[in-house]
Amino acid sequence: MSGAPSAVNGQLEAPPVAKDQRSVFAKIASRMPRAGWGLLIFVVLFIVGGLLRPSLFTLPGLISTATFAAILAAASFGQTVAVIQGGIDLSVPSTIAFAALGFLTWNASFGPVIAFVLALGAGVVIGLANGIIVAKIGLTPIVTTIAMNGLLFGLLLLNFPLSELTVVPDFVKSFTSDRLEIFGVSVAAVLPTVLILMVVLQAVLSYTGWGRSLFLVGSREKAARLAGQPVARIRITGYALSGLLAAFTGIVIVGYFSQAETTMGNSYLLGSVAAVIVGGASMFGGRGSMTGTFVGALVLGQVATLVAVFNLGADIQNLVYGVIILAVLAAYGRDRYAA
Amino acid sequence: MKNDPLRSVAPDAALRSEPLLVASDLTKQYGAVHALDGASFTCLKGEVLALVGENGAGKSTVSRILAGATGVSSGTITFEGEPFAATSISEARRRGVACAFQELALVPDWTISENLILPDRRGRGMFSQNKARDESDRILSALDVTHLNPSTVVGDLGLADRQMVEIVRAISANPRLLILDEASSALNPIGVEWLFARIRDLTADGVGVIYVSHRLGEISEIADRGTVLRDGASVADFTRGSWSEDDLVSQMAGRTARRHFPEKPPVPKADEKLALEVKGLRAEGLSSIDLTARHGEIVGIGGLQGQGQTELLRCLYGAAPAVADLWQIDGKPARHLTPPRAVRRGVGFVPEDRKTEGLALTLSVGENLLAPWLKSLSPGGPLQLRSEGSWIDGVLNKLSVRTRGANEPVGDLSGGNQQKIVFGRWIDRDRSILLLHDPTRGIDVRAKQELYQAMLELAESGVAIVWFSTELEELVNLCHRVAVLDRGRVARVLEGSEITPDAIVGAAVGTA
Amino acid sequence: MSATTTATITATPPPGRLASGFKRLRYDGALAPILAFVIFFAVYLAINPGLLTRFQLQSAANLIVPLALIALGQLLIVLTGGIDISIGAITGLCNVVFATQIAGLSTPGALILCVATGIVCGAINGSLVAYANLPAIAVTLATAFIYAALARLILDRPGGALTDGIYKVTSGELLPFVPVSLVWLTLIAVGLWMFLQRTAFGRQVYGVGSGRAAVQSAGLKPRLTILVTFMVSGAVVSFGAIMLAGSTLTGDPRSGDSYLLSSIAVVALSGAAFIGGRGSILGTILSAAVLGMVGSLLFFAGINSYWQYVISALIILAVVVIPRLIQFGIRQSALRRGPA
Repeated sequence: MSGAPSAVNGQLEAPPVAKDQRSVFAKIASRMPRAGWGLLIFVVLFIVGGLLRPSLFTLPGLISTATFAAILAAASFGQTVAVIQGGIDLSVPSTIAFAALGFLTWNASFGPVIAFVLALGAGVVIGLANGIIVAKIGLTPIVTTIAMNGLLFGLLLLNFPLSELTVVPDFVKSFTSDRLEIFGVSVAAVLPTVLILMVVLQAVLSYTGWGRSLFLVGSREKAARLAGQPVARIRITGYALSGLLAAFTGIVIVGYFSQAETTMGNSYLLGSVAAVIVGGASMFGGRGSMTGTFVGALVLGQVATLVAVFNLGADIQNLVYGVIILAVLAAYGRDRYAA
Repeated sequence: MKNDPLRSVAPDAALRSEPLLVASDLTKQYGAVHALDGASFTCLKGEVLALVGENGAGKSTVSRILAGATGVSSGTITFEGEPFAATSISEARRRGVACAFQELALVPDWTISENLILPDRRGRGMFSQNKARDESDRILSALDVTHLNPSTVVGDLGLADRQMVEIVRAISANPRLLILDEASSALNPIGVEWLFARIRDLTADGVGVIYVSHRLGEISEIADRGTVLRDGASVADFTRGSWSEDDLVSQMAGRTARRHFPEKPPVPKADEKLALEVKGLRAEGLSSIDLTARHGEIVGIGGLQGQGQTELLRCLYGAAPAVADLWQIDGKPARHLTPPRAVRRGVGFVPEDRKTEGLALTLSVGENLLAPWLKSLSPGGPLQLRSEGSWIDGVLNKLSVRTRGANEPVGDLSGGNQQKIVFGRWIDRDRSILLLHDPTRGIDVRAKQELYQAMLELAESGVAIVWFSTELEELVNLCHRVAVLDRGRVARVLEGSEITPDAIVGAAVGTA
Repeated sequence: MSATTTATITATPPPGRLASGFKRLRYDGALAPILAFVIFFAVYLAINPGLLTRFQLQSAANLIVPLALIALGQLLIVLTGGIDISIGAITGLCNVVFATQIAGLSTPGALILCVATGIVCGAINGSLVAYANLPAIAVTLATAFIYAALARLILDRPGGALTDGIYKVTSGELLPFVPVSLVWLTLIAVGLWMFLQRTAFGRQVYGVGSGRAAVQSAGLKPRLTILVTFMVSGAVVSFGAIMLAGSTLTGDPRSGDSYLLSSIAVVALSGAAFIGGRGSILGTILSAAVLGMVGSLLFFAGINSYWQYVISALIILAVVVIPRLIQFGIRQSALRRGPA
């Protein structure tokens, strides 16, 4: 029911323009994906670091940063899916720990492959639970995933007594801590693993109907619903994927660091959201990319590298993180098409 | 046809009343749309002036201007002899002009007493719930409202009670000019009587009341004089006892189109299958609807706003729950309809608000066109844009969409072009039924023409179109049949040559 | 005056103050946490009547009060429709400011500085949200990093110059069986309540959440309201940090970390609406009491304390989900009956 002409019609409408009259710079700038800006920041930081300490400006230096970033990125891919559909996943820390400790426990009884499948399956179940509560019961994602985070933390404390690792199965080492020779450079397997994962996930986001429907739902849920899309199903599968990816990250961390303990996921709570934002995603939903998230993780990783090398301390690191996030928000964060 | 209002007023009335508000030649533009185009009227002290008009005549714009919610593009307003140009609602209230809006301006999380007392405080000072409640009690009982508890949260009230609170809020500002914008629309007959009693009390004290409404029955009871608005301009004045409903309806409806309309497609044959058949459709806001639409038929839904048209279209699409005695799409029953099922059954829908219900503004033109046709397990994004490229180009061409290309973010398009995208989703997609909610609202004339053309082509290809329009001319010139809704039911169905502006308005205001 | 209206519409007598207060609590979602509180503590006392001894009352109060205060800070932000991710960091920052400055300045001086820190943090958050139009969740994520860094710069490991005197004033006993911390909590809660319920400006905090457009058309200023709300929240959080410092006698930059998630959990349990406009102070305090004491309950019941996480999560989910399921059921049966 509406009475007065809506404010929508009150906006001044520019006469329709067929010809693109923007400047060359504006055209290029609009075509550049938002992740491009993040990449620029990373390159600048990398160069600055190299100028100040030439040993950083080498391929091994780049690879070491990228490897650190890869783990953060893995933890942030699931968060990317959640943010694109207009939600958030605050159960990432406990899902990581649950899957990691579950894997180790089940590995002792069932062997690595089955344990791997079970751990990933646990991630899916956790995600499905989140998704059903958000989509069918209508609870906000913040409350749902926080409650889930607490629930999982309790469950893993109760069920997985292992806090010390004995042996990492070779199967897991093969895609995490083993070193590979690629074009004559020694790289930890985790880096190509995460890069491949990024490519696959980005392909799903960009080129499949399901991926695009995530953006539709995140951009304007009402419009998605009225265009006939099954919004609940899309949301639930989205959260399931987030859970799966967090679980995978847990196993990756076990493999790479050869350790697992109950609070291992805690730093990824804010870290994953930070990487996603610096990568150009919008907290309002409808925008984001896996490549952007990886770039965001790279930026955060490069800051960490510089801070470590110049011995600036964790405080400076956090300070810089905060400033970078604010800068990215100022550039992209506004709701441009606020109705 | 602008009459001098004072000339038609009886001499003794002229002696005791003086002009309270004089509005001359008001114009108001929203981009390409002229909401007001030469509206003039005068309200005297102690009288009720009615402002009547069809949808889009400009009545609500007038009340928003007088209330201080917006300004004029040109024209003058004089209030109590001084120029009047309030820049905010609270400023207008302080000057003595208060308005009860149809789009209620109450804060839903506040109680009745908070909504009555807080706005005029403008955030200053202490606030005592008890004192506010007592004061609200006084206000409510002074206005003879005894069934409302001031501690009730407004969000818990029904629409009728909310409307009452809105009215009370306006009157409690002790205005010297009170504007009631469709204030009776949500009230039941007892509420309307209450409202009229309040109006009479106010006019006895010399307060001027501007009564914006389309309900001619009420106007004949309460208004001393009135002005008819049409297409943003005042076209006639009338005084109590000197007008007939037929005259008024004629003035509201006006002569036929100044616009050029394409030719209607021929009426589909009687044995053409029914695309849609509903009997006894009931839902929130609909008391009982019978409606049919044959393939190739353009069925218009008319009536004044808020009579159930929005609810009807949403229910037919499965976007709102409804039950019916009979409900068939293409001859097969429609059970437990949801939008995804409706789309599979061949129904398309263009919703009311393109920006909040129609489009995903951050996505591209192409992706918005493909929104209903995204399938989870099929390619999407650039792959789908390429495979569906010829369809997309076809749609953009057919509707003459002005865009840089399918990759342009749809939020960058003008309103008319955005609306074409929402509409274009359903072109050449094998639709049986297309439900349109006022698709040409707020878009420029050229875009409207292009949409009409597309609609007619769809109808000729066999699509049944159910079209809620707030513009008489569209219903008259482009529809085979028109169902006029009033208060959630079909007041009258007009066919072929029966469809005239007067007939539609007559059915809408309940005089037919 | 028309006689017909009064004849046909039944006049209802306006309720007394008690009844309208009750109605307001129900609207703000507080009935569920009140019920949860009563049931929880009935169970608790059955298992451990020793709670009512002076020592245990004091310990319980010192545990609950900081959580309650920080959760109240979060509640304020949630009322405006946002969320504060930096609340843990602000707590840590105020905590170390108080703990370190108490050596140099007098106690009142350190107190004022600490509260001022909280207000400034809130002001920064609030201006970015209100005037730069950025989402609260993202802004406070960024400032969380910044405030945490500042906290570490001031004091990078637990320490500080807190004295026993501070403990007595913040965490001791005012009278037998009356922990001082509860007194402080009561004072602050009452003050906050006065602000939110008894000032015209405070009422706008409730309006801004869901009815922003209506607030604007009523002629009020939503942006200023949001800014001030963030500042008040910062002040309340700083009080929580002081109580925390006082009860642990340690300044610790990371002392606030766990309060991020737990403050959101408490606000969720309190029945507040995360889109804004609904929430109660009483509900928040009672929820803090429940969630804060779950661990202790399990200890006295002889249950593995790891269960506290599970039980807390289930309490939240139950309290929030069950009303929705009931609503859903009501709507379904109304639909089956058919529209009126």
